Amino acid sequence: MTFLWQLFRDAVPLITHGNPYLMSIIGFTLQVAAIATGLATLIGVPIGLTISLGRFRGRGAAQLAANMSLALPPALVGAVLYLVFAQGAPLGGLQLIYTRRVVFVAQTILALPYIVALTAAAVQGLPGGLLDQARAFGASRPQLAWLALREARIGVVAAIIAALGTSLSEVAAIAILGGNIYGYNQTLASATLYEVNGAHYAAAIAIAIVLIGLILVLVCGLGLLQHQSGGLRLRFRHQT
Amino acid sequence: MGLLWHQFREAVPLIVNGDPYIVSLLWVTVRVALVSTAAATVIGLPFGLALGLGRFRGRRALQLLANASLALPPVVVGIVLLMLLLPQGPFGSLRIEFTLRAVYIAQTILALPYIVALTPAAIQGLPPGLLAQARAFGASRPQLARLALREAKIGIAAAVMAAAGSAVSEVGAVIIVGGNFQGHDETLASALLAEFTYAANDPYEMAIAIVLFLLVLAMIGSLTIIQQRTGGLRFRFRSG
Repeated sequence: MTFLWQLFRDAVPLITHGNPYLMSIIGFTLQVAAIATGLATLIGVPIGLTISLGRFRGRGAAQLAANMSLALPPALVGAVLYLVFAQGAPLGGLQLIYTRRVVFVAQTILALPYIVALTAAAVQGLPGGLLDQARAFGASRPQLAWLALREARIGVVAAIIAALGTSLSEVAAIAILGGNIYGYNQTLASATLYEVNGAHYAAAIAIAIVLIGLILVLVCGLGLLQHQSGGLRLRFRHQT
Repeated sequence: MGLLWHQFREAVPLIVNGDPYIVSLLWVTVRVALVSTAAATVIGLPFGLALGLGRFRGRRALQLLANASLALPPVVVGIVLLMLLLPQGPFGSLRIEFTLRAVYIAQTILALPYIVALTPAAIQGLPPGLLAQARAFGASRPQLARLALREAKIGIAAAVMAAAGSAVSEVGAVIIVGGNFQGHDETLASALLAEFTYAANDPYEMAIAIVLFLLVLAMIGSLTIIQQRTGGLRFRFRSG
């Protein structure tokens, strides 16, 4: 036990004394989480709504694809993106490899399936008659989408929480694409990996503690929001 | 496109001819997935059933905890486990740090939340009267548990597959506790990360990516088949 206690004692000052390296990683991690989750939500919610509300050919296939993309290993996504973005590859001209921007891109792409698949599932879980009724009363498409979004908001927030979780915890794709460069494009999770590889266990534990704290605060915060807005409220104002 | 095509052409023979490195990676990955999924199912299913069926104080809090543990970052699990397993740590005498056994333990811990959190969700999704009726007819606890297990089997199969998916995809903990020793305790996903970190641009990257993709595809395919075969609820309940 003395070994663990000693490590812990070494780790705590790194956090409390505001080590600039740690601060920069926290800042970058927050940036990645905000941008990736925000972009994935902006792009993914409309797609999820389209899949769940639309009545077009290939809807089932689209949903299957969304669900399947949830199962893709991040390392594989990272590898494929690397092959696409590498020099001489189709999108090599963008010069994204080993930059900060590529971390945003990778985490957005990894967060997207959660938003799309879980939003669609949430809308499909709504009481059967609700959307049919709105359609029968002549709701326009934007009105219908808005209604579905409002009623399925608990599920949509759950999707956002899941997306946030991946953008905070995943390391494989960003390590492949970003190169896990010290103090430049490291998130808390990838920095933990980096410090362990260098056998700097106290630093790794300090970063891991901050990561867990951050996840607890963000996930619990959103979870609270989810509970407060809980319960279905069937209100639908028809605008005349 | 030329580069991608070239890499693809070089990768295919490695897979088709059963390159020993690729085969060893696949073998380790399959073993890790089987061992950790089986262990997580055996350990987690009773907890999941208790959470889904039990009526005791603190059930909701425990379920919240189970859901929250889904957000546990693999790197954090990895670093905590490594500190316990290092020679100076409390379980150091086992001498399993940087071995395949440590990888089994890490991936079991990461797979466990899927089983524990998704099993109650599957049971709670059953038609409301079903379990109440069984209780009213005087079903014993083991009978009730068996009934719930049988009726919620699709949801539970999905939970098991999600656990297996995490065992195949996750790399953070595998690298930290296993040390990523080539051909020894590397999985396909962790080897992919190592390939890109240390030896960019050889045909193995593409070959590993293809094998990993095929493995995930096979897993998703088998889940889909299981779900379609056993589809539909069957209400049969024999009282012992």
